[in-house]
Amino acid sequence: MRNRVREQRTQQGLSQAELAAVLGVSRQTVISIESGRYLPSLPLAFAIARFFDLTVDKMFDPDEEAGAS
Amino acid sequence: MTLIRPRLRRPLQIAGAGTVFAAAWALRGGHAWWLSVTMEVTVLVTAITVYVRAGEDTDEGALAGSRADERQKLLSLQSRALGWNFAMIAAFIGVTVAAAIKAAWGWPFLVILAVTGFGYLLGLSNYGTDQEDPAEDAGTGYQAQSRMLHS
Repeated sequence: MRNRVREQRTQQGLSQAELAAVLGVSRQTVISIESGRYLPSLPLAFAIARFFDLTVDKMFDPDEEAGAS
Repeated sequence: MTLIRPRLRRPLQIAGAGTVFAAAWALRGGHAWWLSVTMEVTVLVTAITVYVRAGEDTDEGALAGSRADERQKLLSLQSRALGWNFAMIAAFIGVTVAAAIKAAWGWPFLVILAVTGFGYLLGLSNYGTDQEDPAEDAGTGYQAQSRMLHS
C-alpha cells in the first residue's frame, strides 16, 4: 500500500522526528510507515490524515504498491 | 506502576526478579551459596545496561524504556509469540525424547506444554472468539427468499 506521508511531510518542511512527536509515535515508526513496511492502525491513519488535512483514502492508496512512483 | 518512571520500570522488574532468585539460591545453602552473589551482581549489571539502553532512540530502547508505540508493541508481541513457539517446540521435543527413553524427567516439559496451551486457549477466550455476535443478516436471506416465493 502506497502512502503520501513522506511527500506531505517534506512539503510542510517537517523532519521525521517532528512528525513523530506530533503523532505521538517513535521516529522509527514514521520511517516504517513512509517506507511502506508498516501499516498504521486505523486511529493512527486517521491522525496522520487529519494532521495533513487530507482524507485517509487520499493519504493511503490500497491499489498501489509501496515504493511505486 | 504509574508511580515509577517508565524508564525505570523494566530495570526494576529485572532487578526484582533476579534478586528474588538470588535470595532463593542463597537460602538453599550448600557449598555453592556464593553463586547467589555472582547472580546478584549479574542481575544488577543487566538492570543498569537495560536502563542505559532505555535512553536510546531505537525500537529496543523504546521497549526497554516502557514507551513503545503501536508498532513497537506489535514487534514485541510478535517476538514473544516466536519465543513461545520455540519454547513449545523444545518442550515437545523434550517430552517426546523422555517418553521414548522412559525417562522420569519428562514432566517439566509436559507442564510447559500444558501451561502454554492453556495460555493460548485463555487468550482466545479473553480476546474475543467467545464474544462473536450473531450475523446481523442471519435469517434475512430466508425472509427474502420467502418473500420472493410468496410474490
